[in-house]
Amino acid sequence: MSGMNANTWEKMLNIDRRWIFLMIGVVVIVPFFIRMGLPVVPTDEVRSVYSLIDTLEADDAVFVGWDFDPGTEAENQPMGIAVLRHAFSRHVPVFVTAVSPLGQGLAGQGLASVFDTRTPGNFALVRWADWEPFRAAGHAGRDSLEAAWEAAGNALPEGALGWVFEGVDFAHLGYQPLFSLVILGMGSSIAAQYPTDVSGNPVPEMPMLHAHKNLRDVDLAVTLAGSSACMWCVIYGNAKVGLPVAFGVTAVMATDYFPYIQSGQIVGMMGGLRGAAEYEVLETEGGYTQATGNAYRGMDVQSLAHIVIILLVILGNIAFFAGGFHRKTALKARR
Amino acid sequence: MTFYETAGVWVAALFTLAIYSFLYRENPLYRLAEHLVVGVSLGYSIVLTWQRILYPRLVQPLAAGQEWLLIIPATLGLLYITRFFPKVAWLSRYPIGFLLGTGMGVSFPLDMQALVLRQIHSTVIPVFTPGTPWDVALGTAVIVLGTLAALIYFFFSKPHKGPFFGLGSRVGIWLIMIGFGATFGFTVMGRISLLIGRVQFLLADWLRVIH
Repeated sequence: MSGMNANTWEKMLNIDRRWIFLMIGVVVIVPFFIRMGLPVVPTDEVRSVYSLIDTLEADDAVFVGWDFDPGTEAENQPMGIAVLRHAFSRHVPVFVTAVSPLGQGLAGQGLASVFDTRTPGNFALVRWADWEPFRAAGHAGRDSLEAAWEAAGNALPEGALGWVFEGVDFAHLGYQPLFSLVILGMGSSIAAQYPTDVSGNPVPEMPMLHAHKNLRDVDLAVTLAGSSACMWCVIYGNAKVGLPVAFGVTAVMATDYFPYIQSGQIVGMMGGLRGAAEYEVLETEGGYTQATGNAYRGMDVQSLAHIVIILLVILGNIAFFAGGFHRKTALKARR
Repeated sequence: MTFYETAGVWVAALFTLAIYSFLYRENPLYRLAEHLVVGVSLGYSIVLTWQRILYPRLVQPLAAGQEWLLIIPATLGLLYITRFFPKVAWLSRYPIGFLLGTGMGVSFPLDMQALVLRQIHSTVIPVFTPGTPWDVALGTAVIVLGTLAALIYFFFSKPHKGPFFGLGSRVGIWLIMIGFGATFGFTVMGRISLLIGRVQFLLADWLRVIH
């Protein structure tokens, strides 16, 4: 180090930031081609969300709120897909909602991803209109409906994990404004707040609404949020009607909400892409999926990017102190 | 993939690249993409709000001659538009006042319960009870002492000197800094995750070089 003069340290500290962007860009791209499979160990916060859903059955119900916008899609969307897959595997009915108009579109994309036949471990969607004759014949219970559906000659597509009947296994309720008031309203009646789903289907006629008329009949609300909108479920759902709540929040927000786990106001939390990856690992361990998904794959990249950032921070500090800049009031910016 | 799906992927990919071009320097492509994000989001929201809320839950019932009471909230909502006309702009204060009043009335008791009382309740806990594992007791001690220390740091009516206020505020600021560090670490992780999401989209959905 003694051979390096102050000018060299100064150059290091004033390096054009675009070189750093390029370095991060390379580090983020390359690991997608060289899979390392670094271990992801599920934390207690994620495990408690998974464990609760893992105890639910077909006569229970879950709310999954797509309470984020495209800006945080990379973090929140894999959580939603993982939770949907878990619930559909266990035939737990899912109410899908959104606090923003853009969230409704993202929820549609999440559902489409789970039903996409090109995706490994997909589910075969049966739309509300498609099983109308079976409804008219009185097959509203899930087991009898599935048996009648298959008896009618419908075979499960190759690679699909099971059938998902719209109105029985899920209802895409979509966006409603002033969601805090909507939650309060759902304390009395879900159908009153959502007379139709996003496709215009009548929500009050859906079999899943017969068993779950209001929030008191719902066993868990998972809010996937990129903003403090997730707190509405705690304030208006948990505090008012005792609705169990789980968070799937961005990494930036995660530290703010740990106290709510400790206080018992939320059952658990998925924090950022890592939280989603942990959920995917648990699903694979639980035998619900053959392989982990996009979030897990992203964790290799994340780890490498973090190593580069840590190295840059260390190098920056070495240059700062070795160059004696801690004794000066300002660096000479030369960009 | 259908033609529309493919076109959608291309549009998304090109606009992603346009946004990332800002990392090199500001340019017209970046500004175009930025303005389009705002415009398209707003347009989408307006259409969806009309389609999902205003038309089926306000216009349709009124047009069918049912639920005449809806005229009251509709009129209140329309008063917001008076902000664009200076002479009658004062009328917009009525819907704002209504929303603020009802919002406060509804949220205040629940906010107090969920955000204040429950949090205080979960902090006022015994540090050690017989049979508690040592790691749980240690965690509880950190919660109780850490909360007290942080509160002492924000207590400005006494000088931060002496064994109680001096030491307490020093511990408090250290704990706050550790909290900031954890938040910053999570923030870095979050930002990298967003980049990963976009790169994953470009490589898998657009270029199809990974599966």
